Amino acid sequence: MIEGIHLTPIGDGNVLLEPGEGLDPSNPESMVAPVLEFLQRHEARRLVYDLKSIRLIDEVYYSWLTKLYATCRIANVEMVTVNMQPAAAYALSLTLSQSPPFSCALDIHSLK
Amino acid sequence: MAKETPEQKTTNQILIEQLMLNVGKISAIIEKQGQSIFGHKNLLSNNEINDYSLEFLELLTMLLQAGARVDRRGAEYKALRQFFANFSQQIQVRGGDMDEFVRYIHFLQSTFLENLEADKSVSFEKSREILMLLGTIFNDIILEVFHIYLETKEKTIQAQQEELKQTSTPITEIWEGVLTLPIIGSLDSSRTMIVMEKLLSRIESDRARVVVIDVTGVMAIDSQVSHHLIQMIRATGLMGATAILTGIRPEIARALTSLNIDLSSVTTRSKLSEGLKEAFRQLSIEVSRPGK
Repeated sequence: MIEGIHLTPIGDGNVLLEPGEGLDPSNPESMVAPVLEFLQRHEARRLVYDLKSIRLIDEVYYSWLTKLYATCRIANVEMVTVNMQPAAAYALSLTLSQSPPFSCALDIHSLK
Repeated sequence: MAKETPEQKTTNQILIEQLMLNVGKISAIIEKQGQSIFGHKNLLSNNEINDYSLEFLELLTMLLQAGARVDRRGAEYKALRQFFANFSQQIQVRGGDMDEFVRYIHFLQSTFLENLEADKSVSFEKSREILMLLGTIFNDIILEVFHIYLETKEKTIQAQQEELKQTSTPITEIWEGVLTLPIIGSLDSSRTMIVMEKLLSRIESDRARVVVIDVTGVMAIDSQVSHHLIQMIRATGLMGATAILTGIRPEIARALTSLNIDLSSVTTRSKLSEGLKEAFRQLSIEVSRPGK
């Protein structure tokens, strides 16, 4: 059990990550190792990060996402964000100078 | 009780008397002139002109009766101002000009002055006071009407600009999962915000997977506009959709190169039709003629 994060294996090597209220993006170090451990235990090939409940992605949150992506990459796990909200996408596009390293998909159904 | 001489009467009393004694003549002149100013363009019907003339005389009499000095905060003055505000708005709505209205107000003023000139019993001193009083009232009215005119014009321009912003970027679902966004005119920060907001909401509601952004209608591009375009494409990507940029004119391509704008990560096609083909290809959609 990782505080603020809910992980669910959803088949075909996919693991769904649903962030909760208790997630502290300013402290990624405490979360990345348990997430990676879960992914390896379930032989995951892809981490699907559900952003449905995230209204705003600021620099701190984005930094957490990129750190998680970097960790997944080391373990050869693809990371895809889904359900990014229009307002969050808009705000994030204003601060980014390049495209994010992780993939983005509309929703879980559009994942191949 | 001894009868008051013109010198003992106040300016307002003299004007009121003039109005009362010559109301028929004054209103006839005002109506005639009103018809020549507003009637020839069918801005007002004869009945409307007559009604306005009578109402004006009534309101002016009430204002003069209210006190020796014109009280701008008084109900009578406000009523007269409101009358002219409504009058001018009606003229404007019906396509009339400000010139016509100002001409009418000047004419009202001169009608009173001509009437005053004909009255030999009024001294030069009183005539001067009356002239000043009328000047103050009518100048204030002209200023007020002009202010309303500008305000109405500004509102109309703003509404038209807003409408243009909304209609100049119609986002259309051309196929299931494919949106087209033709951009016409220039992209500034405020317009980009509106377009982006609309586009991202449509991606979410229509579950769009490809967006074809067509810039054939964009005449000029600078670093700010290209920055806005790249932002839009990036936001589309963050939502999980792909953006295809089409219709980049040669002069715009040249401008982008000279501005060192890198579009290498953006899928581009020459024409909207090519962009649509690419969108269909990405979604594995095949469009063919019947029988082929």
